[in-house]
Amino acid sequence: MNAPLYKYGLFGDEMSLVIAFVIGIGFGFFLERAGFGSARKLVSQFYLNDMSVFKVMFSAIVTAMLGVTYLGWMGVLDVDLVYLVPTWYAPQVVGGLLLGVGFVVGGYCPGTSVAALSTGRVDAMAYALGIFAGTIVYGEGYPAIKDFVNSDARGALTLPEALNLPWGVVVFTVVLIAVGGFYGATLVERRFGGAK
Amino acid sequence: MSASKPRAPGSAYMNPYLAGVGLGLVLLAAFVVMGRGLGASGAFSAVIAWLMDLVAPAHAAANEYYQGYLEGGTHPLKAWLVFEVLGLAAGALLSGLLAGRVRLSVEKGPRVGNGPRLAAAFAGGMLMAIGAHLARGCTSGQALSGGALLNAGSWAFMIMVFVGGYATAYFMRWQWR
Amino acid sequence: MIPKGIGPRLALVALALGAVALFSEPHRGPFVKLDARELGMIVDSEVDHVTPAELAAWIVEGRSDYRLLDLRSPEEYASYHIPGAENVQSPQLAGYPLLPGEKIVVYSQGGIHAAQGWMLLRALGFQGVYTLFGGLDGWTDEVLYPAPPPGDDPKARARFERAAAVAAFFGGQPRAQAGEAAATSQPVLPKLAPPAAGPVVPAAPRGKKREGC
Repeated sequence: MNAPLYKYGLFGDEMSLVIAFVIGIGFGFFLERAGFGSARKLVSQFYLNDMSVFKVMFSAIVTAMLGVTYLGWMGVLDVDLVYLVPTWYAPQVVGGLLLGVGFVVGGYCPGTSVAALSTGRVDAMAYALGIFAGTIVYGEGYPAIKDFVNSDARGALTLPEALNLPWGVVVFTVVLIAVGGFYGATLVERRFGGAK
Repeated sequence: MSASKPRAPGSAYMNPYLAGVGLGLVLLAAFVVMGRGLGASGAFSAVIAWLMDLVAPAHAAANEYYQGYLEGGTHPLKAWLVFEVLGLAAGALLSGLLAGRVRLSVEKGPRVGNGPRLAAAFAGGMLMAIGAHLARGCTSGQALSGGALLNAGSWAFMIMVFVGGYATAYFMRWQWR
Repeated sequence: MIPKGIGPRLALVALALGAVALFSEPHRGPFVKLDARELGMIVDSEVDHVTPAELAAWIVEGRSDYRLLDLRSPEEYASYHIPGAENVQSPQLAGYPLLPGEKIVVYSQGGIHAAQGWMLLRALGFQGVYTLFGGLDGWTDEVLYPAPPPGDDPKARARFERAAAVAAFFGGQPRAQAGEAAATSQPVLPKLAPPAAGPVVPAAPRGKKREGC
């Protein structure tokens, strides 16, 4: 076991910022390659004529999930040391809903808006300013909604734990859902694709 | 299976599955090297906390939310996510330049003017920011990173993003169709 | 038969890897292998603990290069714990997010649970694990309510003055007389509110907040 490298002290905080930049380059590169610097391409997901968002997202999830599973299984990566955002069901369900609405209204999510911004999309600039404004609204309102934000806390919780299933069964199920979804998405695109 | 129709001249996007595998490998690299996933919205928060601390330090100090980004003894912008998002911008620019997709433009459907589109983008950004804070992450940090780690909250979140998007799509046709 | 096109081929690879992964368990899990002789030698050499005074000095200095784990029950933890301590129960130690190179100090009420926790953590592969000598009882006796020295030795006196200042920092107070006070009722543990003035007490482990999106 010697990964995650950072948590095994192979390099310090300064170096981690350089790595952040390098990893960010890869992140931005593939987002833009996939066409996620375009709001029209992104929201097409919700008008069913281009399911790229689903395809890219689930290909990425399946790839990284299998990678984590195999590296952990081989004893290379200590999965317990990879940070897991704790679960708070109620605020996360409401937050997801707001985010989905914001996606279709604004045309981006925070990551893709940065990709769009750096490739010259003016609406992405407006969107980023909106994020700043929303952050201030949230920051100022935080004391008032603090109780809800911190409600329904479950701690770090994985699906295998929540569903009481072996890790491998959940992994295989996610792969099946993804592959089934890809096939379905292709059918949907064939049906609605020309409607642009 | 190839359903990719050429959208605009010259904008040959990568095969979505290949792009997804590439993105997944970048995410896996973040897990292996750093022990954490990717993110985006947190960088915006760090910038706001930093600005708030510059403009109204007393106000920022009194607010628990801003404090979360200010404490720790280092500069609030000297944060992992801030550098990652700078890299994101650089990587996207690189890809955009290679594909000839960098140009000043407004993304919108044919039936809407620039003004309403920019206003909607601003409003969408606000909704997204509030949602991302409630959910402790956006599509990158929660759906993508948490999804790959089989994080229970991330999957609940991800399903709701699609629900929210599809529920709103009909009412936003004016913007896109 | 290999399907044509990049999508179906990738799907096939994913399905194959997913099917094999059915039997996978990526987590470290509760099973460990340990070097019994090495552990025995560490126990024998008595380098596996920190004294309450040392720990108190770290906290007063505001050091943040260590993790302090309180192995008692959540109720006991809620009523009093050493500043900066995190509450963990022994069964949870195996999955608790600790870093491999970190200095980890464990304590319990007396010292038995801490010693057992020390053994668990060592077995899990953590190198820098220490117990708090004497546990919380030792902390109470030596740091919170230090007893004055019996004689009139000025050096011992000066040491006691320093200990009294440290005790005040942690919300305790020195005892009036040697021996006597210790025999009377157990001193009341200070309230959890940190002292108003004085050096900064280290906050929660740095960087946690920023690990999210």
